[in-house]
Amino acid sequence: MIVAERKPLDEIKGFVEGFGRVLVVGCGGCATVCLAGGETEVKIVGSALRIAARGEGRHQEVLEDCVTRQCEPEFVEAVLQRVDTDRVDAVLSLACGVGVNFLAERLGSVPVFPGLNTKFLGATAEPGVWVEMCAGCGNCVLHLTGGICPVARCSKSILNGPCGGSNNGKCEISPDVDCGWELIIERMKKLGTLERLVEITPPRDWSSSPHGGPRRVVREDLRQLAAESEEKSVTST
Amino acid sequence: METGELKVRMDNQVEREAPCLVACPVHTDTRLMVEHILEGRYKDALDLLLAANPFTSVCGRICHHPCEQSCRRSKVDAPVGLRQLKRFVVEATKEYRLRRRAPVTRTRKETIAIVGAGPAGLTAAHDLARAGFGVTVFEAGPEAGGMLGTTIPRYRLPYEVVREDIDDILALGVELRTDCAVGRDISLPELQREFRAILIATGLSESRMLGVPGIDSRGVLLALPLLRATCAGDPPPLGERVVVIGGGNVAIDVARCARRLGAAEVTMVCLESREELPAWDWEIEEALEERIELAPSWGPRQVLAEEGKVTGIELKRCLRVFDEDGSFAPTFDESETTTLVADTIVLAIGQAADSTCLQDSEVKVCRGGRLDYDAETMATSERGVFACGEVSTGPGSAVEAVADGHRAARAIERFLDTGQLLRQQPREDLPTIGDLPDETVERVKERARVEVERAPGETRVRDFSEIERGFTEAEARAEAQRCLACTTGAFVDEERCVGCLTCVRICPFEVATVTSTASIPQEKCQACGLCAAVCPAAAIALKRFGAERIEDDLRRLLSGAEKTSPPVLIVSFCCLFEATSRKFLDETPEHVGSTGVARVLVPCVGRLSVADILSPFEHGADGVSIIACAEGECLYPTGEERLGARVEEAKRVLEEIGMSGERIDLWRTKDSAEVSWTAFWEISRRKLALMKDEQQGETG
Repeated sequence: MIVAERKPLDEIKGFVEGFGRVLVVGCGGCATVCLAGGETEVKIVGSALRIAARGEGRHQEVLEDCVTRQCEPEFVEAVLQRVDTDRVDAVLSLACGVGVNFLAERLGSVPVFPGLNTKFLGATAEPGVWVEMCAGCGNCVLHLTGGICPVARCSKSILNGPCGGSNNGKCEISPDVDCGWELIIERMKKLGTLERLVEITPPRDWSSSPHGGPRRVVREDLRQLAAESEEKSVTST
Repeated sequence: METGELKVRMDNQVEREAPCLVACPVHTDTRLMVEHILEGRYKDALDLLLAANPFTSVCGRICHHPCEQSCRRSKVDAPVGLRQLKRFVVEATKEYRLRRRAPVTRTRKETIAIVGAGPAGLTAAHDLARAGFGVTVFEAGPEAGGMLGTTIPRYRLPYEVVREDIDDILALGVELRTDCAVGRDISLPELQREFRAILIATGLSESRMLGVPGIDSRGVLLALPLLRATCAGDPPPLGERVVVIGGGNVAIDVARCARRLGAAEVTMVCLESREELPAWDWEIEEALEERIELAPSWGPRQVLAEEGKVTGIELKRCLRVFDEDGSFAPTFDESETTTLVADTIVLAIGQAADSTCLQDSEVKVCRGGRLDYDAETMATSERGVFACGEVSTGPGSAVEAVADGHRAARAIERFLDTGQLLRQQPREDLPTIGDLPDETVERVKERARVEVERAPGETRVRDFSEIERGFTEAEARAEAQRCLACTTGAFVDEERCVGCLTCVRICPFEVATVTSTASIPQEKCQACGLCAAVCPAAAIALKRFGAERIEDDLRRLLSGAEKTSPPVLIVSFCCLFEATSRKFLDETPEHVGSTGVARVLVPCVGRLSVADILSPFEHGADGVSIIACAEGECLYPTGEERLGARVEEAKRVLEEIGMSGERIDLWRTKDSAEVSWTAFWEISRRKLALMKDEQQGETG
């Protein structure tokens, strides 16, 4: 899942304090699962903003909402409508950055602000602790490294590790960070495939990663048919 | 968020009830009674009890409490003392009960005659009067109450207690004609001409006789006449040594009365073995405390007498009482005998109906003297004549008689409405959530049942004063805390649940599971609320003290402070379970306005979410003072730690928006609410006042 965490509330407050009517919108997807932006967090942020406005003597109305996922046109439609009908002056999105972008493209002149810092693609290590496991580099090499990702879990993302900064299984950047390559080697020992690491992985083409510019994925079999899209554009005009 | 909508959906789900409610013949919602007691709503508890059972005072004393027998806490330690709690409610609301007494308006022209003023007849009278009919009750004796009023010994059931219930019923406008025996003073056919329906509820007022040699001797008495004479204050002399034949509850009553009437040696002789003894266990235990001897597995062979006066009884060994089919068919070993010396022998071997009321009537009687009666329609052979209670069902308890009275009232109402008979099962079985599963039992904290001490047996037998006292308020509240609040736990809204597993990880009872969405089975959930407090999707609601309760309370209470603007306004969320009295339970906006402290009592503050803790600040509070239970006392494992972490999170939120986290205090109760809470509020108040002064100093 995409793991995020709430921005400090003073930062959030700074974004929206000039607006009369603010809509805080949560996301029922990853942001809820990582306890950063679901219904309950919307309530807390909404409450904090109202308490702050009251304490500072500002008049500000804070509305709350939550949608199934902020990254789907059908689901965000309700938000767009509410912004119109309730004459919302600013939106605070408690989704990952995707949700913020997605709303920003659709909200016309109403600004949208991020309530979360989107951190990484990760998993639950233990209740209340999430760790990064994938960098979304666009060209998976996990088959070469026993299923442990050198791009996401090595601080240097090196493909032929470990480097000289590996110390007793920990990375030189912090004693709290595991050396990704140590994990890879231990895993491959268990699999009996350690000898594969003798082969040098050649420098890779990073154009599939964010460095190659904004990416997109297309499934031709599921794309809107030409007739459908024509029809939609007719009904929408 | 739409908690209201979620609540409606929760309430609409198909219910399985708490076993205590299901086991009660009148389906008293004892679980809700306990909740009312805990929240200090004693009047609501009384209303609830009286709606189910007009003989609430009586049942608070002598009910055989099937609710307790089915209480799910039994598997953890001991059942909740529901009967005593019921008695507590009655005793705590005496004035209110008098105030709520009022006649009902007669809205129906039809009149009904009820024969017999015992619990069955009077319950039917109560229901039919409330339905608007004219009701007249005919009682052969001088007092209403049936067995309850005239036969059950006063040390178990003082007459004033029976009177509380009877007076309630009569106050509805029910007419009572005592000393009027139907079949002697007025005939049933005469009643049939005068009334549109008749209900025979004469009970089983006669004792059965025994056919053994010597039974006609002087000094052989029957149980019920003896008990009646004792209640009336006119018992016959019994002598020093009394033998009671019988092993049921009536036999126990006789034996215990005999001790109180001066008999030094009282022995109960019964066919059944000690394990099979039909009397209730607690009755047997109390009888033993009063030095009553048991002689189980013996049957009478002959009564021994000299000059026609009892001197003893010869007994023969009873080998077994019931045959393979469970029918009564005792077999004896005639060769093994024993003799007991006795001045008086009392027969308590069963009861029979007095059929005087059927004199000159067409109502058919079966062989053996039982009424010819349809158990489902409650109709006798005569149109418009119905029967209920022990006369038709056979021997039973008071609460069963009440249940049958309700059923008879429904049958008669239908008959008068439509001329048709209503078919009803003798007992309505409702679905229950079943026993507490073993894996949950292990995780529930043990709490000793609150028992009231009884005087020693030797002291008790000196007179007929009541042997049991009621709960004090503190005892009642402590006992009420033990209720597992069955069926009031977490409800998952599957449409909202994102399957995040937080509930699974947080649940201290390991109840929650997730496949695609969460499942929190009612039969395991302990209603602690820890999951709902942290569910990120707000997909979990609690039936008892749901999320909307706090908002509603805050809105109501803080309106009081708007008018008076106290110098410091504190909202104090307090653990309901720590209040040993009602002192802090009733909270009004006016009180908040004058004191500046708004108490919100929560059934375990561990269920407060971060948003709950912040909410008072939105309503203008200067501080929040959370008072948890005493250290280590939380009913729910991990509740204390989880609350501590959420309080820290709420403080962090305040700090991030530029307010001091010190505005939130978390206290642990010391001793009790009454002892420590006021001091906590005072400390919080002073601190907040100081902070306010400093703030004004800065801005000024």
